[in-house]
Amino acid sequence: MHLVYPLVLAVLLFGIGLYGVIARRNAILVLMSIELMLNAVNINLVAFDMYLRDTLHAGQALTLFVITIAAAEIGLGLAIVLMVFRNRATTDIPELRELAEHKEGSV
Amino acid sequence: MSMSTAATATLAVTKVDAPTIEYGKLSPILIIAGVAVVGVLIEAFLPRPARYRAQLTVALVGMIAAFGAVVWLARDLPDDHRGSVTAMGAVAVDGPSLFLQGTLLLIGIASVLLIGERRLEPAGGDAFAPQAAAAPGSQQEKDAAAAGWTQTEVYPLTMFSLVGMLLFPAANDLLMMFVALEILSLPLYLLCGLARRHRLLSQEAALKYFLLGAFSSAFFLFGVAMLYGYSGSVSLDKIGVASAGAMDNDALLLIGLAMVAVGLLFKVGAVPFHSWTPDVYQGAPTPITGFMAAATKVAAFGAMMRFFYVALPGMRWDWRPVMIGVAIVTMVAGAIIAITQTDVKRLLAYSSIAHAGFILTGMIAMSDAGVSSTMFYLVAYGFVTLGAFAVVTLVRDARGEATHLSHWAGLGRRSPLVAGVFALFLLAFAGIPLTSGFSGKFAVFQAAARGGAGSLVVVGVLCSAVAAFFYVRVIVLMFFSEPKVDGPTVVVPSVMTTAAIALGVAVTVVLGILPQPVLDLADKAALFVH
Amino acid sequence: MNLYAPILVLGGIALAFGVVSLVMGALTGPKRYNRAKLEAYECGIEPTPQPIGGGRFPVKYYLTAMLFIVFDIEIVFLYPWAVYFDSLGMFGLVEMAMFVAAVFVAYAYLWRRGGLEWD
Repeated sequence: MHLVYPLVLAVLLFGIGLYGVIARRNAILVLMSIELMLNAVNINLVAFDMYLRDTLHAGQALTLFVITIAAAEIGLGLAIVLMVFRNRATTDIPELRELAEHKEGSV
Repeated sequence: MSMSTAATATLAVTKVDAPTIEYGKLSPILIIAGVAVVGVLIEAFLPRPARYRAQLTVALVGMIAAFGAVVWLARDLPDDHRGSVTAMGAVAVDGPSLFLQGTLLLIGIASVLLIGERRLEPAGGDAFAPQAAAAPGSQQEKDAAAAGWTQTEVYPLTMFSLVGMLLFPAANDLLMMFVALEILSLPLYLLCGLARRHRLLSQEAALKYFLLGAFSSAFFLFGVAMLYGYSGSVSLDKIGVASAGAMDNDALLLIGLAMVAVGLLFKVGAVPFHSWTPDVYQGAPTPITGFMAAATKVAAFGAMMRFFYVALPGMRWDWRPVMIGVAIVTMVAGAIIAITQTDVKRLLAYSSIAHAGFILTGMIAMSDAGVSSTMFYLVAYGFVTLGAFAVVTLVRDARGEATHLSHWAGLGRRSPLVAGVFALFLLAFAGIPLTSGFSGKFAVFQAAARGGAGSLVVVGVLCSAVAAFFYVRVIVLMFFSEPKVDGPTVVVPSVMTTAAIALGVAVTVVLGILPQPVLDLADKAALFVH
Repeated sequence: MNLYAPILVLGGIALAFGVVSLVMGALTGPKRYNRAKLEAYECGIEPTPQPIGGGRFPVKYYLTAMLFIVFDIEIVFLYPWAVYFDSLGMFGLVEMAMFVAAVFVAYAYLWRRGGLEWD
């Protein structure tokens, strides 16, 4: 298979994730979009690994690390989102504006 | 028959030599990792009242031991000051990594002293929520506070973060760099959300930091994948060899370079990737802000220098102009936006952005002097920042820390000592002679000028002048205005915060008056292993 | 092609076994239904009418699910060790022992802090 196919797929996936991070308001959806971006990276890594016939399989090894660290990251992220949700009953990012320039005097 | 051979062929794996790891050379990192794991065990098995002392003791002893290990490794460096790589080339043990690890451990010791402070809250306890999972104002939280519970998980989290920081500047391949980046970031995200006062602000800071941090690490990773695709290896040395002969328009290399740089610039808080800095610095518990501001910068600049100096020296004509632009924008934006700030923590945050620009100036010099001056600046900046945030924890009113600048009016008349110490730190930030800030700025500007980035130096000096204006404004406010009637009071801390502030003052003064020994040390430690 | 023949044969046998048992059971067995028999077999949640758009799960569910996923995924690192088991020898064993010990520390913390208790 030509290297271009997985790379284009990865770029598309990364682009969808990027769009999601920028356009979505809900923190959970932003988290999911970040996951898409990480998975795009995984596709790239595995594709390069096979294409380069890397005897050390650095690409695949890195993929394993990305998967595990992404799981840890999501666990932690959900914990933070839940904590915020319990206190405010919302996870909409635009609602979170306690920390902003115009309200600096309110602290 | 054909089936069995085919089966063996698929199962047969290339024989590899078992890797070796020289544990001794990794000892500073391993000691702190061990301390963090022991910290988790203390949380699991020790009764609540005993945890605080145990955690504090283990963390401090561990960091001192790790610092000893760094000194021991530094003595073992060969005479030409070239280091070596260990763990199959994944970790570099050379001058810059040892110098920065030593700095990080000292900053870590001072930070843990600040984190452990328990005299400041009138109701007792430290700067952290008694029970982070309980909703603010809930009965559950009140019970936890009444029972005197504290979230002693803070210590292992800090230690885990420190492990990542120690590993980050030493990481000699991109895989290790990514792992270190995440180990240092993940605990920090949590720590930001644990403040005792202003819980909502603190949690919001944690969420923002987390989302933006995860976003930037996705960029970093995409860049790593591109560089791997380009060079066939994640090792910085091999990328360096491959990129040395690069043609002008190699898309994989350029995209990879740009995206990894985005991830690293985010961590140091350079413009245009700085938007998280003021919010997070303001919302996080102040001891954590101090730790984060000082230590993350040290670690991230260390990693950034290694990345650019080892992996991409051949590409300097491509990345230098961009980085010069980033440095200029960072200095200008940091200095100018800081003028309009009315909150001390936000002010220090913008000042840290401006300083990221100054530090970039040294890095861009692309010479040994650039490395040594950057490392010197990091030491000077780290201790001043930590000291300044430590002072912020002391000025309090009924609602906790009084961070609004108007509350600081006339502080110099009420508590000349604390205001004087803060003024010293501000003068160091401004780069006034006889403080560490001046020596640091002088060193990086000199290196940049010799490295052919004269324009950068001009902008840097101008920005320093602008920045000096708002630092001096705060000093004037503290000493020459009438104190408010209901103004904040300065709480007398325990010996721990006092020690942390004293360390900050000592480093600031000593590096201001007698910078030469540390400059020499940084000079000797300026060679990256290839 | 003949490489895959055993797998195909095995698949065929499994399929035939399933079909034959079901058909034989339906044809020859007595048919006496009661409420208990219609419930989910041995495990699973009693299906209840759910509001449109899905019901709410308790937060505990997500916590437990996340804990499971994190521990589950950490074990991914055992896989490369299995692939290179021969070459890595003693070194691999020692390193993996350290890794597993670290995971156990996290597990011990979880257990002691009541993360495994449902209520």
